[in-house]
Amino acid sequence: MEFTRMMEGNEAAAWAAKLSRVEVIPAYPITPQTELISHIASMIARGEMKAQYIKVEGEHTAMAAACGASAAGARVFTASSSQGICFMEEALWMPPGRRLPIVMCMVNRSIAPLGSLRPDHNDSLLQRDTGWIQLYCENSQEVLDTIIQAYRIGEDRRVYLPVAVCYDGYFVSATATPTTVPDQEDVDAFLPPYEHEMYSLMPEDYRRPAFPLNIAQARHGVQQAMERAKGVVEEVDREYAKRFGRGYDGLLEEYACDDAEAVLVTMGSMTGTARDVIDEMRAEGKLIGLVKLRGFRPFPTEELREMAKKYHAIGIVDRNTSYGSAGGGIVAIEAARALYPMDDRSLLLDFHVGLGGSDITMRQVRYMADRVLEALEKGKVEKEVEWVELLDLGEVM
Amino acid sequence: METDRLFDESYERGLLQGGTTCCPGCGGPLFWRMALDVLGPKTIAYGDGPCAMCALSNVKVPFFGLHFSFVADGSTGIVAALAAKGRGDITVVSSAGDGAIGDISFGKVSAAAERNENMIQVCVDNEAYMNTGIQKSGLTPFGAWTTTTPLGKGSPKKRIPMIIAQHGVPYVATVSVAYPRDLKAKIRKAKGIRGFRYIHTVMPCPTGWRFNPAKSVEVVRLGVQTWAWPLYEVEDGVLRLTLKPKQRPVEEYLRTQGRFRRLSQEQIEFIQRQVDAERRRLLKFDGKSIIH
Repeated sequence: MEFTRMMEGNEAAAWAAKLSRVEVIPAYPITPQTELISHIASMIARGEMKAQYIKVEGEHTAMAAACGASAAGARVFTASSSQGICFMEEALWMPPGRRLPIVMCMVNRSIAPLGSLRPDHNDSLLQRDTGWIQLYCENSQEVLDTIIQAYRIGEDRRVYLPVAVCYDGYFVSATATPTTVPDQEDVDAFLPPYEHEMYSLMPEDYRRPAFPLNIAQARHGVQQAMERAKGVVEEVDREYAKRFGRGYDGLLEEYACDDAEAVLVTMGSMTGTARDVIDEMRAEGKLIGLVKLRGFRPFPTEELREMAKKYHAIGIVDRNTSYGSAGGGIVAIEAARALYPMDDRSLLLDFHVGLGGSDITMRQVRYMADRVLEALEKGKVEKEVEWVELLDLGEVM
Repeated sequence: METDRLFDESYERGLLQGGTTCCPGCGGPLFWRMALDVLGPKTIAYGDGPCAMCALSNVKVPFFGLHFSFVADGSTGIVAALAAKGRGDITVVSSAGDGAIGDISFGKVSAAAERNENMIQVCVDNEAYMNTGIQKSGLTPFGAWTTTTPLGKGSPKKRIPMIIAQHGVPYVATVSVAYPRDLKAKIRKAKGIRGFRYIHTVMPCPTGWRFNPAKSVEVVRLGVQTWAWPLYEVEDGVLRLTLKPKQRPVEEYLRTQGRFRRLSQEQIEFIQRQVDAERRRLLKFDGKSIIH
């Protein structure tokens, strides 16, 4: 029976795993992911969920066990954060190359040293080259819906890639927001049981992809799957919206963008704060909108290019650092590559903010939006990269 | 012609294909042919890492692997998937080398033993990282030359089977390809038990130990006869020596291999004392529980 109540992101993720009828969950606890796996452990203990929960001794083993289980035909779920994702790194390369559609929550938390228990996006963004699809969520409802979608996306025969559902620790994982939990029968109708065309380890039906003699070809296969995933993410989201009444515009959402000339680009929980600020500014008649980047892998290059035809100044909010990069954070670098071939390039600004999980305030968002509009007005960017938290912007709004 | 026919039949029946990339004289194909004779076709093999993989990638049963440092972990996932699907009829056998089990993935094996995962974990022990070109591992014996211990290893071999036994797992055994009947009996016993079962096999390595590849079986047989490689099992915590050969001097074993060429008489006597002490310990606990 469908119901709605206040729910933290981690609990919503546990509900999604249950509704997706996952069969194997190898997991190792780490703040802020812990409530997610303890919710799952309780559901299993109460007999409400039927799954093999393997209490492994570390994240490296968690992902390896996930690979084994997925290849042996089980639907697999796991989750980790920060140091745990770093420790898992070697194993994280395995599912994309082996084409195993595992779904994992990356509950974002900053990495030590110079980090905290609170979120920034370096832990998941560090994994951007591994071949995992990465979708970033804003609140509990989106976490729940995205996990269910993630199985449909990853298990699609055009894709066969693992999916990371990323959400900010604390701001999403431990903050209760109204969440609708769909009916099991409806989810079952949306998400058929897991079957992998390329794999079976059962002795009577053994098959697995051959070891590639041409490695470039195999890697290109992963790249092509990633390209196809763009369409599949959109398609699955549209179907989900039709069935459940909630959609997220695929890889990228435009908010309050009608006749806007400039936009701020956000990712994850900061989007909620940014929506309020943009609403205020629109009420003041400012021509600025908001773009929420939901998919970072595959990167929505085409969408961003379409967008850049309309918006002449783009401000990227980067909740991450890439020391010594070509200029700014990881999202800005990607966006710059996406926009480079355009004839009439938009102005591009980058902001570092919310690092180590510090709050991104309305005043900071307002400051960033003002800088973008200022650049639009002047027709040039005075400061390509700004560390917003180093500025004294007065009291928190 | 008759021998050809017998060979072909045996080859067809066996669950190991020819054409492995193993070095001449490697014990791998011998071990896996015998092990799979007992395990049968309803087996899923898991493992990776060069020396462990050379023979493994030629098995005729379903096989999955990730990379060298992944021991007992992917197989843990396979075991869970089989449990989820109610396939208790399938045996999962997981394989890794001495470096993977003794060093880089020691924690993984320990954890799988602690969780009592329903699998047979095999350690193919050739006493060094051989495929990378003979580097010392935690299971390289005292005094052995490797390319990273050019003057001989200064510390003793980790006693992995005993360490695993101390986890309280249902079954641990050491085996040698020189004793096929003993080897097969132990794997047969392991197959019939549920939970974590550990088989530690010596893997004669002409390349790394420096001996004539034709002598593989003789060399490891001497290992058993000198008590450098005692054959025992630990079932539900109770130790049992499965072979108690009349002891020959360990020097006979050491002299068969170039890796021990530089040992001084004093060092050989030290090794003899170590072997004697271990033999006394094993005989003292033979038939008794070693789990306290």
